[in-house]
Amino acid sequence: MDKFEQAFNELIEKELKIEPRDWMPEKYREHLIRQVSQHAHSEVIGMQPEGNWLLRAPSLRAKQVLLAKIQDEGGHGLYLYSVAETLGISRQEMIEQLHTGKAKYSSIFNYPTLNWADIGAVGWLVDGAAITNQVSLQKTSYGPYSRGMVRICKEESFHQRQGYEIMMQMAFGTPEQKEMAQDALNRFWFPALMMFGPHDKDSAHSSQAMKWKIKIESNDQLRQKFIDHTIKQIEYLGLTCPDPNCKWNEETGHYDHSPFNWDEFWNVVNGNGPCNQERLDHHKKAHNDNKWVREAAAAYALKTEAQVA
Amino acid sequence: MKITIENKDAMSVIRLADTSVILAQRLAEMCSNGLTLEEDIALSNISLDLFGRADELYKIAARIEGNKFTPDEYVFHRNEREYYNIKLVEQPNHDFAWVIARQLLHDIYAKELFTQLSTSSNHEVAGLSQKVLKEIKYSYMHSHDWTNRLGLGTAESNERMQRALDHLMKYVDELFNFDELDKKFIPDPEKLKAVWFSEVDKILGESNLKRNAVAPPSMRDFREGFHSEHMGHLLSIMQFLPRAYPDAKW
Ligand SMILES: [Fe+2]
Ligand SMILES: [Fe+2]
Repeated sequence: MDKFEQAFNELIEKELKIEPRDWMPEKYREHLIRQVSQHAHSEVIGMQPEGNWLLRAPSLRAKQVLLAKIQDEGGHGLYLYSVAETLGISRQEMIEQLHTGKAKYSSIFNYPTLNWADIGAVGWLVDGAAITNQVSLQKTSYGPYSRGMVRICKEESFHQRQGYEIMMQMAFGTPEQKEMAQDALNRFWFPALMMFGPHDKDSAHSSQAMKWKIKIESNDQLRQKFIDHTIKQIEYLGLTCPDPNCKWNEETGHYDHSPFNWDEFWNVVNGNGPCNQERLDHHKKAHNDNKWVREAAAAYALKTEAQVA
Repeated sequence: MKITIENKDAMSVIRLADTSVILAQRLAEMCSNGLTLEEDIALSNISLDLFGRADELYKIAARIEGNKFTPDEYVFHRNEREYYNIKLVEQPNHDFAWVIARQLLHDIYAKELFTQLSTSSNHEVAGLSQKVLKEIKYSYMHSHDWTNRLGLGTAESNERMQRALDHLMKYVDELFNFDELDKKFIPDPEKLKAVWFSEVDKILGESNLKRNAVAPPSMRDFREGFHSEHMGHLLSIMQFLPRAYPDAKW
């Protein structure tokens, strides 16, 4: 072990932050680029399922809250792309990797939003699961990522609140609204829980990431936290958890859950979810249709620079 | 639900509110379709300002009308023929040049209009106008900058921008066909028209673009609730939920 590696290990050991200028093992850098770019792409692709209801948001207030929320996610994407850039990859490269399928994003966004309550369920469950993960990541060992999470978490709690507010409105509304709320919960419950990733015993990446303190708590720990917290909210809403085995367990001090359908999870990750193709096509189309605009902006910048010089 | 607007001042305010909400809705369509994340965020900002402005304007109109209807009722429960926005803002986002051209033509109009209204005898309108002028200046800076970039960028961008302007110009004529309500509500209508043409000509001139003359269009006026074909589609999407579930609260 050379002195650089020793210094790196010491920083990790003492729970100090690794900064862009510090030496780091190539594998650490690669792991982070993969994780942070995936995180950035998730923020950006996540704008689409919510955008699907933006134009149909049913009140002036709902429109403004949802638009502000989606705009925040764009800002998170922007912020995370610049975190990844500190690791030596450009935004352009990351977008190419997204378009070729080399880079992934959270599979949850490959599910469709089919009624207005889905917008509630996304804020409540999907942002909720993301927050559980991101609160933990505030302590991650890479400095820029950790600081990014602190900033992002402040906005995320507003996202979850706006989602839960829609759920309350729907669950306590007309019978038709309550039905939509239950339908949304039924469709998003298991996918949201699987957002935390494979069980610890099946998660190869995870254990190395924990040694490097990129990841602080394991997938199963975070998932359990989320379940325990969310069940009470389901009860308050007067809705039914779609998992009949989700019951309090005196022995473990936690809520149980049924086995997850990991075949579905991996099938969606591998491109066969309800909307994988649509999400990517949408992103590519916005990017490609506006190529002429980016060219115009670049040409104009060159001309005006030439005038200044 | 039949929504009525009795008071003439309320009707003048409703016209402004309708123009704001319809443009906001059009810009919201651009969310997640921006050329970059930065631009996506910028257009969302402008859309948010316009929704906020519409909300405030409907509240003022509602108060003049004795609060018979809420802002949401004005937005979600009026039919096409009961909407009084300028037709310019309902035109689609054909490409980014259309978005910018529509915004520029609107912003120059809105800037002078709200500048004049900031001295309105209606104190609520005057107060709100002072507040929204800041937002309009931001939007105007954005549309002005992009007009420069597209006009002077590449041959393609110049051509697309010119095409968008040439098309949208036919919705300009009606802006200045002032009726009695306008003449009572807008402090100096003739100045609004003069400022609009001189500013548009200045910005297009510096951007290597032209304001081509269009034949005076035979088109019914927005002040009587007439629209282009695009409007019905926009409303059918925007109003879907409150219309499909009239008993629900949102
Ligand atoms: Fe986010
Ligand atoms: Fe969020």
